[in-house]
Amino acid sequence: MRSDLYFLAAIPPETPRPEGELPPWGEVRIVGKRLPRVDAFERVSGKAVYPRDFSLPNMLQAAILRSPHAHARVKSIDLEPAKRMPGVVAVLGPSSPGADMEWFARPKAKGGLLLDPHCRAEGDEVAAVAAETLPQALDALKAIQVEWEVLPFVIDPARALDEKAPKVWDEGNRVADPVIYERGDLAKGFAEADVVLEESYRTPCEIHVPMEVHGSVVAWDGPRLTVWDTTQGVYAVQGTVAQRLGLPLANVRVIGHYMGGGFGSKLEAGKYTVIAALLAKVAGRPVKLFLSREETFRVGGNRPANAIRVKAGVKKDGTITAIDWKSSGTPGAYPNNTNTAFQAADLWTCANVRTEEAGVYTNAGRARAFRAPGFPQANWALEQMMDALARAIGMDQVAFRLKNVPTVSQRRGNQPYTSTGLAGCLGEGAKAFGWGTKPKAPADPAIRKGIGMAGGIWGYGGGPPSTVIVKLFSDGSVNLNMGAADIGTGTKTVMAMVVSEELGVPVESIRIEHADTGTTQYATPSGGSKTVPSDSPAVRAAAADCKRQILKMAAAELKLPAAELKLLGKEVVSAADPSKKVAISAIPAFQRQQLVVGIGFREPNPDGKVINPFAAHFAEVEVNTRTGEVTVTRFLAAQDSGRVLNRMTFDNQVFGGVVFGIGFARTEERILDRQTGKMLNANWHDYKVPTALDVPADQATLVVDARDTANSTNTKGVGEPATIPTGSAIANAVFDAVGVRVTEGPITPQRLLELLARQKARG
Amino acid sequence: MISSFTYARPKTLQEAVELLAKPGARAHAGGTDLLGCLRDEVFSAEKVVSLSGLSELKTIVPSPLGLHVGALTTLAQVASYKPISGMYRALAEGAAAAASPQLRNQGTLGGNLCQRPRCWYFRGEFSCLRKGGETCYAYDGENQYHSLFGPGPCFIVHPSDTASPLVALEAKFRIAGPAGTRTVDAEAFFVLPDAEVQKENVLKAGEILTEVFLPAQAGLLSTYRKVRSRGAWDFALAGAAVALVVAGGKVAKARVVLSGVAPVPWRAKKAEEALTGKALDPAVIRAAAEAATAGAQPMSGNAYKVDLLRGAVEEALRAIA
Ligand SMILES: Cc1cc2nc3c(=O)[nH]c(=O)nc-3n(C[C@H](O)[C@H](O)[C@H](O)COP(=O)(O)OP(=O)(O)OC[C@H]3O[C@@H](n4cnc5c(N)ncnc54)[C@H](O)[C@@H]3O)c2cc1C
Ligand code: SF4
Repeated sequence: MRSDLYFLAAIPPETPRPEGELPPWGEVRIVGKRLPRVDAFERVSGKAVYPRDFSLPNMLQAAILRSPHAHARVKSIDLEPAKRMPGVVAVLGPSSPGADMEWFARPKAKGGLLLDPHCRAEGDEVAAVAAETLPQALDALKAIQVEWEVLPFVIDPARALDEKAPKVWDEGNRVADPVIYERGDLAKGFAEADVVLEESYRTPCEIHVPMEVHGSVVAWDGPRLTVWDTTQGVYAVQGTVAQRLGLPLANVRVIGHYMGGGFGSKLEAGKYTVIAALLAKVAGRPVKLFLSREETFRVGGNRPANAIRVKAGVKKDGTITAIDWKSSGTPGAYPNNTNTAFQAADLWTCANVRTEEAGVYTNAGRARAFRAPGFPQANWALEQMMDALARAIGMDQVAFRLKNVPTVSQRRGNQPYTSTGLAGCLGEGAKAFGWGTKPKAPADPAIRKGIGMAGGIWGYGGGPPSTVIVKLFSDGSVNLNMGAADIGTGTKTVMAMVVSEELGVPVESIRIEHADTGTTQYATPSGGSKTVPSDSPAVRAAAADCKRQILKMAAAELKLPAAELKLLGKEVVSAADPSKKVAISAIPAFQRQQLVVGIGFREPNPDGKVINPFAAHFAEVEVNTRTGEVTVTRFLAAQDSGRVLNRMTFDNQVFGGVVFGIGFARTEERILDRQTGKMLNANWHDYKVPTALDVPADQATLVVDARDTANSTNTKGVGEPATIPTGSAIANAVFDAVGVRVTEGPITPQRLLELLARQKARG
Repeated sequence: MISSFTYARPKTLQEAVELLAKPGARAHAGGTDLLGCLRDEVFSAEKVVSLSGLSELKTIVPSPLGLHVGALTTLAQVASYKPISGMYRALAEGAAAAASPQLRNQGTLGGNLCQRPRCWYFRGEFSCLRKGGETCYAYDGENQYHSLFGPGPCFIVHPSDTASPLVALEAKFRIAGPAGTRTVDAEAFFVLPDAEVQKENVLKAGEILTEVFLPAQAGLLSTYRKVRSRGAWDFALAGAAVALVVAGGKVAKARVVLSGVAPVPWRAKKAEEALTGKALDPAVIRAAAEAATAGAQPMSGNAYKVDLLRGAVEEALRAIA
């Protein structure tokens, strides 16, 4: 279980290298450029083999039987008819060996089981089949006879704590005791305020919808298991699979080269991997088990819906005097973090703060980390409230926020941020966007334009552990070996650029091996926007280690001090006298050795400081008051993510984050049937991710590099910060356009028309 | 999962009709709706009869009386064919507003008119009335996308974006079947659930929609306004097809046909009355838009559609005026 601020959990630092941390780069040659991805051709031409595309000889196809009910118990189950179906090789049910292993552990009580006869959400796993073909496996699932005892269910988190509410777990529906944080004196803060506002906000439950569905291919070789998984972290999957199957880590090899998106839903090992492993063991053959799109919608994870009540006070001069924050969320039927309070207590200066947050179980699919877990939800409430406060005291929204930019992290004992570009994001962003000039009113008075903005912070800045190996071959070409996944963010590309920067070799001469527990080194899963700040310093250190060795050999050959020498790709040159040089192929020591291996570790972060990326987003919208249609017509995202390693992949991340934010604000919402608890929109057209037509053509990014020095590449993350203030900026722009607050997202024509009708009725 | 079926690709209409008259046979035009229904087990097929060999159903033939559009014409062709986008703009706009470019390239006009409803209970694992079950789940359930008009007991909205324009344009549908061919008004093609809850149109076993005929009308102006929650790949929350014959600055004849709010393309006759004989000024437009909502009976979750509908009709009329 994560602690209340899981990203604060202390991670033991690695032993630092004796040489200490590398100094920041001086002038950079390649880092920061716009460079296409090193694997762009493979990805767009279809040559890249994703786990979903992967096949082994003699491989079986598997499928899972799931509960069609939101809450039900298996009274009896007969697997025999399935075993007799054509092509069927292995069948597992709740009483098969291994099926009762605990899955989704709960804090103080027993959690769920791998194949659980008590199903607490639609889609819960009860049996599985492996057959020669997928249609055969699916036919066999239908042959399994299950007698269900259908139980009463609860899907509305607001009702889950009622005394009469059906119980998801015997002890009740509370996930844990509420988490409370307090500083200052709330009553005093409200007494000092000139204006106090109070509002309740609700955010939708969003589904990750990765392009590649969840799943694995598994194969046993005696006691050794190999897993080809679509995952954000091969080492995380290795750990769980080994632990659940009682295998030594060394006997579980997880490979995850390409993967088609996860957005947090593939940070952990899936039940499907272990079910596939059990089936493969029974069958004695490799097994492929991928979820269908519908299964991914139901059980692949979601961003939990949150209900947040905020009361805040402000003085006429813009001082925020008090914030009272109460948040609850539902992780579904199994535990997961649903917290939101960090941002409320840290983003803006405020002396008197109280936050309380709680989670309740419901009979619904389990939440997972989802691109900035909790942060867009918190931002939706906080930044709409800030907008309302600024309006209430007649202060410009940007000026109001600029007045309240903190230099220290109030939520973490006033430790200083290693760097903060929040003021820069606000000020430079406002300038670049043209904040302050009202958009021209359309000729048709029913069409209204408005602008809105929001600031944001992300809670994590990366850190140890990470181990990377760089190998320099005798011809000057390089092998970069790292455990990190490239989850579509361009990790491979930016890491190659770091090596290129350090060694002077062109990116094309760098071959990358990654995301394989058998052959690459330890990395934490790619989540938390921390792959760049965690792993790029280790990559740089490994390259620097190679360089040091080569320069030492060259120094002996040139009879010059190593400190005077520079490695420029295939040559070592004297900085003092460029005529003194030697080709690396001509260094005898290197030729004898043929290969230089550099090892790099991630140094610890500085003590007593915190690392956070920041952002400010600016939106212009057009609202049709006749139909409730909202069009985002212009968008600017200002991001402080430290140094940008590749402006092209950076922009990709920011645009992607904004698109996600548009989905959160405008279109995406899981819909459960109140009569059965079943998900109604578990498909691509009823669950509405934004299309190209929902995204403004006029979209810009602005880099606000606050020159962070917490690590040797001066980087913070961007993937998550780029989606945190998006929805709130849009909601604030909608308010600016039509004067109604859409506190409950997403801003659909339905919600907007209902609010506009109420506004009209009020007159 | 799609259960197994046999497949036939007849060369003649006669052959196709014979194959389709057999129980369990299903017509396959572009397949964009059919395959989804089979995969989601909304219904099954024993034999899938492809219409793709019937080249006579793929032509668009102008005549002095109007335009004959073959049922296998793709939505993309309908949207871009000049005589349609000129004279019958509402149809071109309806076709262009349907689905996505990929689906419009593959999906046909006939298939669009015969597609099954998108009610999420009907498409999901629910045995509702329309699937031969006992109850309508939408009635007490999640009905934000359901109908405002119609007698029940099923509350689907007709999913087609070409159906309302065609009713507005007074199109005629030609049908071939075991008993020969017949022609019905577009309006009469669609059936309400109180008549037959498991069907959306008058087609009987073995019958194929072969052609849509658009009659020429002097002074005809038309448009289609669709409102949806995202920019593409989304069915109508509500829409309005308007076709007017304007003479001497006045509306001589009006058809206002709503989409997304009823189990069939829904004629807003009160709105038509409010327009006939009037000049299209803002007050008349507003009155007609208001009149279009007359008789709406919102369910628990779709009252917003009344406002939305008024807005869609107003915008359609403004676009013509
Ligand atoms: C994701 C998605 C989004 C969509 N969005 C929209 C939308 O916004 N608006 C909209 O209008 N439509 C929308 N559609 C529906 C789409 O336009 C239809 O699927 C398409 O037009 C059907 O044409 P088809 O030729 O592929 O039909 P098919 O799938 O081949 O057939 C559809 C049905 O009609 C029957 N049929 C087909 N042709 C004939 C015929 N000539 N005579 C008798 N019966 C026939 C078939 O048996 C089948 O039951 C969407 C579809 C999808 C999948
Ligand atoms: S509206 Fe019609 S299709 Fe939908 S659940 Fe009710 S009966 Fe079934």
